[in-house]
Amino acid sequence: MNIEEIQQQILDAEQLQIIGNNSQLKSNHLNTLDMSAYSGLVSYQAEELVMTVKAGTTITYIESILAHNEQILPFSIKNTASTTIGGAYAIGSPELRDAVLGVKVIDGQGRILNFGGKVMKNVAGYDVSRLLVGSKGQLVAVCEISFRVLPKAYPVATSTGTIKQTPSKVRQQIEKNLKQVFDPNGRFV
Amino acid sequence: MQITQELLAALPEHIVIHGDEMTRPFECDGLSMYRQKPLAVVLPENIEQIRIVIEICNKHNTPIVSRGAGTGLAGGALPLDNSIVLGLSKLNKIKTIDPQAKTAVVEPGVRNIAISEAVAQHDLYYAPDPSSQIACTIGGNVAENSGGVHCLKYGLTVHNVIAIKMLTIDGEELILHRNDDGIGLLALMNGSEGLLGIITEVTVKLTPKPERVQLVMASFDHVRDCANTVSNIIKAGIIPAGLEMMDQFAIGAAEDFTHAGYPRDAQALLLCELDGDHDNVEQELTKLLALLSTAATIKVANSEQERLTLWQGRKSAFPSVGRLSPDYYCMDGTIPRHYLADVLENITQLSAHYALRVANVFHAGDGNLHPLILYDASIEGDIEKAEALGTEILKLCVDVGGSITGEHGVGIEKLNAMCHQFAADELEVFHQIKAAFDPQSLLNPGKAIPTLHRCAELGNMHVHNNELPHPELERF
Repeated sequence: MNIEEIQQQILDAEQLQIIGNNSQLKSNHLNTLDMSAYSGLVSYQAEELVMTVKAGTTITYIESILAHNEQILPFSIKNTASTTIGGAYAIGSPELRDAVLGVKVIDGQGRILNFGGKVMKNVAGYDVSRLLVGSKGQLVAVCEISFRVLPKAYPVATSTGTIKQTPSKVRQQIEKNLKQVFDPNGRFV
Repeated sequence: MQITQELLAALPEHIVIHGDEMTRPFECDGLSMYRQKPLAVVLPENIEQIRIVIEICNKHNTPIVSRGAGTGLAGGALPLDNSIVLGLSKLNKIKTIDPQAKTAVVEPGVRNIAISEAVAQHDLYYAPDPSSQIACTIGGNVAENSGGVHCLKYGLTVHNVIAIKMLTIDGEELILHRNDDGIGLLALMNGSEGLLGIITEVTVKLTPKPERVQLVMASFDHVRDCANTVSNIIKAGIIPAGLEMMDQFAIGAAEDFTHAGYPRDAQALLLCELDGDHDNVEQELTKLLALLSTAATIKVANSEQERLTLWQGRKSAFPSVGRLSPDYYCMDGTIPRHYLADVLENITQLSAHYALRVANVFHAGDGNLHPLILYDASIEGDIEKAEALGTEILKLCVDVGGSITGEHGVGIEKLNAMCHQFAADELEVFHQIKAAFDPQSLLNPGKAIPTLHRCAELGNMHVHNNELPHPELERF
């Protein structure tokens, strides 16, 4: 599976549901975009403390590569065996969002877009790569994710979780507007 | 001016500043080469007054430029000729401190260092420390996603803000929290440069003061040895609290100015600070000293006084260099660390090519470069030469997979450079995100994101996703 095939599948569909390994969000839609086949390491240099992987890569695989260099993920994920990094990104957590440095995504119009990068400090443009953490497959198809890693000796941030509550009217309106920005035709369901 | 009269009628007279003389102090921020007087400046003393300003500006379709302490280095708070400046410096109260939860709730005009001072009695501090921390405000820090010397270990502003309250351009309050379910609107607000909303309250995370802080200074005869040492330290599993590098020119300038005891004949200098509990620091120190085999000299600070003296040189690097030249231009690119030596060599070549001196000071640990280009504005063509050299340096950063700005922001200064880092599709998304919050474009319009037209006119080669047009060519 390559990125052009994902792009084509998005453009061909009227509506589709993005899935990973079905470990976090269960799919109930007929037409799915299965990202689990889009997996593997894109780049990793231990001294940079930065790794880039394709979205379908499992957390277990990522952790095994990091372990060779005595490094760890700076956030914790449940069910690591089946969870993909793309799925974890879509569900989101404050600690995962902290670690994200950049993404390559395909939006609802099939455009391949790059936000953020592979460096710790980067304030060029809005921080879209952290904005989209927790977007639950509703705004874009996440293809590649760059994130920060840690030496083994450093403590992983405690999971603080997310608080589910009915968003205020203002927030609802802004979220609706942002859906229009990333997926104006409502392809991603 | 009708809008000024209306502001004067609706607000206490002493918070509305107008007229040529009175608005002059607000005509620029830290990037003083650009100046523009606004229609008026309002310095609100409460949230209700901000709402009134928003309402009146909406009615007159008048842009609002938010401003903290005006220390920004990219022109983000530069007024527009038809704008109102909304200065938030009077909203400077620390509302609550919770030592147990390690949080503080503050108004946007509270100065960065004032938070650390107020919580010091609880052995806590606010970790992000931009060099302007004595003056800069927390609201400005959020707007710029400010960094500092300790980012590698303690994160940027975005990692140290728990919640904000903001007003939208409709005057509605929006509360954003780190733990909100769904998309990261709080993260989006960090670094949004005043284009999306007006920050009215910030809840910050406080960090326990470390038990021990240990500074080590090492000098090198070769720049490449110093750069490799930076990589080796990180590879060995040490994350220093600070890891700073200076080149020979910067070392000399700092030593002349501060007499910190830097070895003037060194080609590169590394300042590495370790912190944590006593035993951890001791272990890391042993590990670190073993990694400094290529260093010409090593000095382990053995008193707090010595530590502060050694830091003084680095922290005075900008004014030290400023003494040697009528003008200097400070860059803020970031690069992946392993390109440090290559990029430095390239900057040296560019400096020779343009016949302008460049002093290099880096936050080496996080790959954030601050080359200072020395020039003389009174010499015709020198500004243009300095800007051209600066553009080349930023292109170099993007070409190796870095960014045009690590912590200073885009403002008006780096609009052209943005065209090099982003393609038209991404810039279009940025403009649409702005419109999702501010459809009439009244909040700091024209800053941070270049128009597509501007980029087309520039005709810059955009390096898409760091894939160079001819990857087989040697770039160094």
